Amino acid sequence: MPRSLVAAAAAFALARLAFAQQPAPTPAPASGDDIQIVIKGGPERRLAVAVPALFAPGNAALQAKVVDPFTATLRSDLEYAGAFSVTDPAHYPTGYRDLTTPDAADRWLGTGAEVLVDTRGEVSGDRVAVEARVWDLKSRKLILGRKYSGGASYVDRIAHTLANDLVKYFTGKPGFFLSTILYVNEQNGVKEIAAMDFDGRNPRSLTSHKSIAISPSAGGGRVAYTSYVRLFPQIWTMGLDGGEKREVATGVELNASPSLSADGSQIAFAGSARGNTDIYTIPAGGGTAHRLTTSRALEASPAWSPTGREILYTSDLTGTPQLYVMDAEGAGSRRVTFAGNWNDEGAWSPDGSKIAFACRNEGDFNICVMDIASGQTIQITSDGSNGHPSWSPDGQKVVYSSRRNGSTQIYVSDANGQNRRQLTQGGNHLQPFWVP
Amino acid sequence: MNKRFSAITIAALLGLVILPLASACKKKAPTTAPEARPPVTAAKPAETNVPPPPKPAPTTDVEAVDITVMDIETLNKKGYLNDAFFDFDQADLREDARSVLAADAQWLKKHGSVQVLIEGHCDERGTAAYNLALGDRRANAAKEYLVSLGIDASRLKTISYGKERPFCTESNETCWQKNRRAHLVITAK
Repeated sequence: MPRSLVAAAAAFALARLAFAQQPAPTPAPASGDDIQIVIKGGPERRLAVAVPALFAPGNAALQAKVVDPFTATLRSDLEYAGAFSVTDPAHYPTGYRDLTTPDAADRWLGTGAEVLVDTRGEVSGDRVAVEARVWDLKSRKLILGRKYSGGASYVDRIAHTLANDLVKYFTGKPGFFLSTILYVNEQNGVKEIAAMDFDGRNPRSLTSHKSIAISPSAGGGRVAYTSYVRLFPQIWTMGLDGGEKREVATGVELNASPSLSADGSQIAFAGSARGNTDIYTIPAGGGTAHRLTTSRALEASPAWSPTGREILYTSDLTGTPQLYVMDAEGAGSRRVTFAGNWNDEGAWSPDGSKIAFACRNEGDFNICVMDIASGQTIQITSDGSNGHPSWSPDGQKVVYSSRRNGSTQIYVSDANGQNRRQLTQGGNHLQPFWVP
Repeated sequence: MNKRFSAITIAALLGLVILPLASACKKKAPTTAPEARPPVTAAKPAETNVPPPPKPAPTTDVEAVDITVMDIETLNKKGYLNDAFFDFDQADLREDARSVLAADAQWLKKHGSVQVLIEGHCDERGTAAYNLALGDRRANAAKEYLVSLGIDASRLKTISYGKERPFCTESNETCWQKNRRAHLVITAK
């Protein structure tokens, strides 16, 4: 954690302590003192890149159809990644895309850039071929050369692919610019499973049960969700495109919050018998459901760990909903949240080191992020009623739903709460799940 | 038909014999011996206040209605079965809920072929997943109480809608209370 953040956190903790020692009309909350609210983060180290427009000489129609969307998408992706800062195109020199001379490199360095991403495109028919050359400006060395081709109608996906390659090259982590976020779209009381691009574009429906279809999760290329289409709630699976829908008969009731393991082989879910809800697992292709928890308390919201060896879940065993972890057979259960009076909807980061969850002490739900090893927890939202967090494939961002002004929308922010963006608008959009 | 009739008769006769025996057994449970009974106090008050007899659970004056001519939708609209309401984050039956369900049990006894779906609902607070489980608890609490009042369990099915299918959407206690309920729906007659 950056030093300035630690200092801010320490100052915050001291301030709370000081306040608690003064006589107060209401007692200070017994727990929750170890949750630090983080709104401002420390300085970030971003690589400054110059991204001139795709060079594809042609008529105005070509510019509008290919050049502008490609360039806008590439710049937006790199800026969004957090690892890059795109220098201001207003200062770009015209031409000088070939860095064989020091003069050319100096012009780009003058824009504040360290790296130049030069792209050239060729359109033939409905196909586009893009060549990308990435230069380190100080050494004038070509560090990356790539070629892409695809349909002119989806040129933004070519830009996404290049952006992914740049993220992978410079950070070592995979880019998420071609990733999908599943969610629930609610209209007039009907809830359907839908999907959108990582940035909220291209929303599309995956179910049309005309009923209540909720809580999607994904693993191994399949999606699991709960639907009331057959009156009683059942688990269904389908492909990421909504095809090949199959019912998964469990033999128990409720069938809520199905969580697909990363390899797609197992589903953990909340099932009930005679009014008692527990965590069960069942093979994703169907079979016998195994009950993992056995208390008379309420257990729900299971989430498979990335390794498939553990399950994070919620239990009200101690009187209020808290998060627990157990192994895949239901043994070794241990409590992991101790602050606040409601911790629920837990989600593992892709490297398994953190969990994001809905947390509440007094007031409304927020999103909290905990480092599992140390137990250190930060709260990354502070307004609205927030819930259902899910991690980006690279573990840098958290997507979640938030209800403000009467409607529920999906937001994404960095894992420390910074750079929040709204991905949906109008109607109600809930329960996001970022497909790994 | 004859087989079933005689089986019912036998069961009834057995019931007549077994029930008193069972309650007699209960009385014989080894918790009270004559020596342990508290002594009668002949002390201070001049007269002993005799409390009135316990009131029977209030039931509406239930008349059998001819449901054979009604379709299920009409039957439900008539509102013969009323809902049980719950406190926040609770699945325990309040006294008013018990009264309502007792009246429902009376009606269901008069119309012995009716099948019911008990829906468990919750208000908007709390997470969706938790509320699905809470709704399940509420529906089952209502079902178990009806069974305890003599309704055959095979006539009652339960389902939880959590907070997914609310009856109202305002964010105030009036609406929240409306949503914290076990909602009874006739599914067959």
